Amino acid sequence: MSDAENKDNIEAKEETEANSKVYEFGYLLVPTIAQDDAPINYGNLKELVSSFGGEVISDEMPKMINLAYSISKVTSNVRSKFTTAYFGWIKFTMSPAKVLELKKSLDLDPKIIRFLLLKTVKENTIAAKRFARGETYKRPIMKKSAENETAVPINKEEIDKEIDALVAV
Amino acid sequence: MKQDYFSANNIKFIDYKDIEILKKFLNPNGKIMSHKRTGVTAKNQRALANAIKHARFIGLLPFVVK
Repeated sequence: MSDAENKDNIEAKEETEANSKVYEFGYLLVPTIAQDDAPINYGNLKELVSSFGGEVISDEMPKMINLAYSISKVTSNVRSKFTTAYFGWIKFTMSPAKVLELKKSLDLDPKIIRFLLLKTVKENTIAAKRFARGETYKRPIMKKSAENETAVPINKEEIDKEIDALVAV
Repeated sequence: MKQDYFSANNIKFIDYKDIEILKKFLNPNGKIMSHKRTGVTAKNQRALANAIKHARFIGLLPFVVK
């Protein structure tokens, strides 16, 4: 009996691993949190993700940003407007069924103003400033001239012969 | 921009957090530039529009600039 159960468990585990997809959770935390307490909330969110069986791939600490427009949120019948917030994100793998549960629990979090749950890819998606304009292809001018010099060794006899042939005509 | 910006720079996944790149495809009012103006492939233009909309939702980009 226990063997069969174990087998089932293992199979179930393999299934979840095979079915797990890469997700990204971007969130805005309320700015009323003190600067020192932001890492605590960040740790709590990471724990929440892993409690639902998520494996964290990469993440970024919540950073204070100025919002592009003011966002209002109603919490316990009080509407509050925000123009700044802590923005952070976590990338993780999780099975699709668990993500729905995670979303439900995130919906109830009073410290989150807004959040995004997106499907994404495992690779780092932020294109850093490695695409500078200066890296464009430049013609190797110096090399070419050097090649030309070596490619034409002067043979006096041959030149003399050619000149003779020209003069004869 | 005649060539596809994303294939030229080898960007395979357009990320909503990369607002410096996304800003290039907004007009002064904050609207998404047309496919004609951007020169981006149809597939990338769709992904770009989604990325911009996600960035707007999370407050990284504006919906309108007055």
